[in-house]
Amino acid sequence: MNQDVAPLPGSHYDGLSFEDRMATVEFRVAARPHITVDSDVCRSCTTKACVHACPAQLFVPTSDGGVLFNYEQCFECGTCYMVCNTEGALTWSYPEGGHGVVFRRS
Amino acid sequence: MGVPRYIAAALKWVDLRPEVDPLAGTVRHDTRTSGLSLADAAALEWALRLGESWQLPVAAITAGPPEARAVLRDAAGFGPTRLVHVAADRDAPSDAIARALAPLLAGAAVVCCGDYSADRGSGSVPAFLAHHLQAAQALGLTSLAPEHPGSLVAQRRLDGGRRERLQVSAPAVISVEPGAAQLRRAPLSGLLAAGRAAVETAAADQAPEYGSRVHLLRTTSYRPRPKVLAPPRDQLPRARLLALTGALSERMPPRVVRAAPEQAADQLIGYLTDNGYLG
Amino acid sequence: MAESADVVVAGAGPAGAAAALVAARAGLRVVLVERGPFPGSKNMYGGVIYPRVLDTLLPRWWEEVPVQRWVTRRATMVMTGTKALTVEFRGEDWDAPPYNGATAYRADFDSWLAGKAADAGAELVCSTTVTGLLRDGTGRVTGVRTDRPDGDIRASLVIAGDGVNSFLAKEAGLYEDWSVTHFTVGVKEVLALPREVLEDRFNLTGDEGLDIEILGGTQGIPGGGFLYTNLDTIAVGVVLSLAGLRDSGKRPEDIIAALKDHPAIAPLVRGGELKEYSAHTIPEGGMDGMPHLAADGMLVAGDAAHLCLASGIWLEGVNFAIGSGALAGETAIEAIGSGDTSAAALSGYRRRLENSFVLANHRKLRGAHKLILGKRAQTVYPELACGIAQRVFTVTDPQPKAGLRRWVHDERKRGGVRLRDIVKDGWVGWRTFG
Repeated sequence: MNQDVAPLPGSHYDGLSFEDRMATVEFRVAARPHITVDSDVCRSCTTKACVHACPAQLFVPTSDGGVLFNYEQCFECGTCYMVCNTEGALTWSYPEGGHGVVFRRS
Repeated sequence: MGVPRYIAAALKWVDLRPEVDPLAGTVRHDTRTSGLSLADAAALEWALRLGESWQLPVAAITAGPPEARAVLRDAAGFGPTRLVHVAADRDAPSDAIARALAPLLAGAAVVCCGDYSADRGSGSVPAFLAHHLQAAQALGLTSLAPEHPGSLVAQRRLDGGRRERLQVSAPAVISVEPGAAQLRRAPLSGLLAAGRAAVETAAADQAPEYGSRVHLLRTTSYRPRPKVLAPPRDQLPRARLLALTGALSERMPPRVVRAAPEQAADQLIGYLTDNGYLG
Repeated sequence: MAESADVVVAGAGPAGAAAALVAARAGLRVVLVERGPFPGSKNMYGGVIYPRVLDTLLPRWWEEVPVQRWVTRRATMVMTGTKALTVEFRGEDWDAPPYNGATAYRADFDSWLAGKAADAGAELVCSTTVTGLLRDGTGRVTGVRTDRPDGDIRASLVIAGDGVNSFLAKEAGLYEDWSVTHFTVGVKEVLALPREVLEDRFNLTGDEGLDIEILGGTQGIPGGGFLYTNLDTIAVGVVLSLAGLRDSGKRPEDIIAALKDHPAIAPLVRGGELKEYSAHTIPEGGMDGMPHLAADGMLVAGDAAHLCLASGIWLEGVNFAIGSGALAGETAIEAIGSGDTSAAALSGYRRRLENSFVLANHRKLRGAHKLILGKRAQTVYPELACGIAQRVFTVTDPQPKAGLRRWVHDERKRGGVRLRDIVKDGWVGWRTFG
C-alpha cells in the first residue's frame, strides 16, 4: 500500500450524523414523557450541564435561557439528573414498562 | 357450525426491527424484537372492545413458527377464552396463511386484523381470509363504532384526503390502521396468568385452494434503497476520490472458493445470484 | 385485589435473576419484575463478564452461557495524546473450561440468566415498571407498586435489583450519602467488522477474545477507556467521572471520537460500522457510596447496592451483581423460613457479603477509585510512563545511552512530578492492590 497517502478514508469520513448514531438504537417510545424540566428554574442556571453531558443530546438550550428537552431517545442512564445542580429543575423516572430504550448488542 | 359466536383477533407475529444485510439483501430476524405491530395491537384492542360491547368472548389466533405464540401470551394478559396457534413458516404467503386460519375462524362474528405487512406490501391476509370465510371485508379502517350486536360503522381513508364511512355486518373480517386504537395495558393478574395459559395448537388443516389464475413464481431478494451520503470534505481531489470509492480502505475480505471446478463454478454463480448480480 | 408472593424481585438483571433463581429453587413463590420488554434490554456495560461466580449456582454453565468470545488476551494500555504503552497478557488456560472472562451482549446474557430463574419456578413479568414501595404504618416494606392496572404485589420480602438509579433504595431512605462524585458514566459504540477482518486484526482464532483497558484516553476528564472484541463486532467506549464531564463542557461522543482517532486505537477500529450506541451511569464510589443494604422487608443487590469496581486493574460488576443477588436469595430463604424479615433479621445478608468475594474485594479496593481517578494517575503518570518507554526504546547513536536512572530523572523533571508523590501513590497503590 502506498504509504504517502494521507489518512485512510474510512477513518475520518464515516458520514455519521448524530441522528444516524441514534438511529442505531431501538426506542419504543412511550406516550407519556418520563423526564420533565422546569424551564423557569433552568433560566437561573448558568452551567446547564445537562446540555453537553447527556449522551443522547436530549437537552437543548433555548434563546430565552430555558432548556427544551426530548424524552423519546433517552438511554435512561441517569446522567442528566446527576449532573443537574439546580434543585427541582429536572425530574426523572423510568418510562412505562415495555417502553423506552431497547439495547441488543451492548 | 355449532360454535358459539365470538370475536377473533387474528394476530401477526412480526419482527419489528429486522436487520437487512446491505450487500447480500439477506434478512436477519430476532425473536426479542418480534411481536405485535402497532396495527395488530390496535386490532387486539378492537377485538376486546367489540367483545365487551357485544358481550361475546374473544379468541386470539396466530399463524407462524412456535415463537409466534408470544403474541398469544400478549393477548392472554386480557383473559381471552381461546388461544390458538397454527404452525406456519414465517414467510408463508398471505393466501397460505389465510387458508390455514380460515377453518378455525368459522364461528367468528368479526375477525380483527392489523393493517400491516412485513414485506411493505399490501397486507393481504385479511382479504384472503374474508374470501375463504365468505365474510364481509372492511380493510384499512381508521376508526370504528360498534352498534347493536353484529353491526358496526367504520371509517377508512381514500386517496386525496377523502374518507368513506362503511356500515359493516357480521360475519366480517376487518383490518385496522395503527391509529385506530391504542392497546390498553394488561392487568398484572392477567400477565401472571398468561404465563400459565393453555395454547391450543391446530394443525394447518387448509381450506381448499381456489382456482386462482395468478401464481407466485418467485420473489427476488430485498434491495435496500441507496443511502444519501454527504460529499467528502477533503481539499485534495485525490483524497475525495478515495473517500468516495473507498479505495485503500478495508472491505469485505475475499473468500477463496476451494472445490472441484464444477462445484466451484456452482458456488460462484450461487453467490452472484444470491447477491442479486445474476438472474 | 393485590397479587401476593413470598419474594418480589425488582429488576431481572444479573442481581435480580440470581436472587430469584436461588429463592425459587427453595420453593418460595417469587415474582421477578422487569421493566424492559426482555431482560437485558435496558443494560449496557464495559464488556467482560467473569462468570466463575456461577460455578455453584449453575454447574457447567459454560456449556450454555451465550457469550461472544472467551477473553484470552487481557491488555492494559496507558496513553498520552499521541503515545501509548501496553502491557498484555495472553493465557491459553483462559480458552478452556472453566475459563476466566467472556464478552457477551447483555440482551443475551441477562435473558439467559433470567430464563434460568424462570425455569426454577420464578414468575418473570416483563414490560412492567416497579413504580414504588408498598409500606405499612410502621414504614415496613410490604411489597411493590407497578405501573400495571391492579399492579400491586404484596410480598414478605422485596429484593431491589433495580440498578444504579435504584428508585426503591432511594424511597426506602437507604442512601445516606448520595453524591454525584460516586458515579461515572459509560458510553460505548459497538462497531461491526467482518469476522475474518476482526480475527486478522486482533490476532484471534476461534472463540478467543481480547479486552483492552485504557488509562489516559479521556481528554483530561477522570476516567478510562476500553476496547474489546465480540464475535463480529468490537466495542469501544469510555468511562467518565460525572463531575468531571459536567465541569468539562465536553460531549461524551466527542470523547469516544477522540479515543478512536488516537494513533494506537484508530487502526483497530477502522472501517467498523456503528451497530449500536449506548450509555449508562455506573456506581463508582465503592464502599464510600454504598447504601444500607437492608430495610424492614427489603434487601438491595447489584448496582443498586453500588457493588461495582470500575476503576483500576479490575473492572467488574456483573459478577458482584450475581454474587450479591444469590446471597440476597439465601438470606430471603432464611428470613422467610423464620417468619421475620425485619432489617435486624436481614442483617445476615451483609454478613454473607462480607464473608464472600463481594464485599471482601470492595473492602480491599476501597481507595482504588480515588487513586485511579486522581489527576496524577490520569495524566501525569501516563506521560511519565510513555516518556520513559520512548527513551528506553529510542536508539540514540552516536550518543551513548544515558541509562534508566537518567531517563527517569529527566522525564520526572519534564513532567514536574515530585518523587514524594510517586512514593506516596506507590504506597497507596501497593496497599490497595497488593
